[in-house]
Amino acid sequence: MAEISQKDQLALHEFSVRYRAGFAQTNPTPEASIDTVKDAVREEYEREQQAKRSPTIEPSSPAPERQPEEPDRE
Amino acid sequence: MKLVRTYRLTAGLSQRLTLAEQIFRLIEPDLRLFVFGAIAHPAAQDALQEVLKAIAISLGKFQGGTIKEFWGWCYRIARNKLNDQFRKEYADRMHPTPPDQLWQMIEASAQDAPISPAVRHDLQYAMKLLTSSKPECYDFLWKHFVFGLDYADIAEEKQMNYDSVRMKIGRCLEEAKSLVS
Repeated sequence: MAEISQKDQLALHEFSVRYRAGFAQTNPTPEASIDTVKDAVREEYEREQQAKRSPTIEPSSPAPERQPEEPDRE
Repeated sequence: MKLVRTYRLTAGLSQRLTLAEQIFRLIEPDLRLFVFGAIAHPAAQDALQEVLKAIAISLGKFQGGTIKEFWGWCYRIARNKLNDQFRKEYADRMHPTPPDQLWQMIEASAQDAPISPAVRHDLQYAMKLLTSSKPECYDFLWKHFVFGLDYADIAEEKQMNYDSVRMKIGRCLEEAKSLVS
């Protein structure tokens, strides 16, 4: 199989750059998309804060040792 | 990439929101191009929002260091999301765009950077290569040359090995060239 020529590579690369730039220009990012992103960032931040406050792998606190019951005194 | 690296190191919410907005204003059009090329229109808008959300949630965990790696990472998240939640609508083969619509985008790009006659000739040639290929080849050529996905990303998606993808893309391009000339 022949290697892809530099001429073809360059032409296709230029096309990619131009096509994506043209698409971005004619389809500006809607605010709804930015709102979705910001909501997700907030959610993730909250999750992190929650995890810091109550780590899931918390060293289990030892159960208080029970004192041997004193024999009933009559 | 600087924005993504900074985001990873940023702890404050307001700074993260600002950085996320800057990052997504840059990458959202490419993601939209990908999602709208892969999903039938009524579901595409919902799919895009889900993809944006998934990427935003994981943004702080991205470990790579280059734009190519970052785009490959975004693409994997997008592909997995479409596979998981929009399986019915998801065609893992791009819908070919008619040449006149492709050319409209090229002309739009000329507003910021005028196209010289030589470059215009190259762009027309590249567009012919892409649009004259068979649907299966169009998908490979488009993903590699227009979206900039490397052979490894495409191999993972197509469940092929790296060399098979490399050879397939080479063959598709040769075939397209023979049809164009």
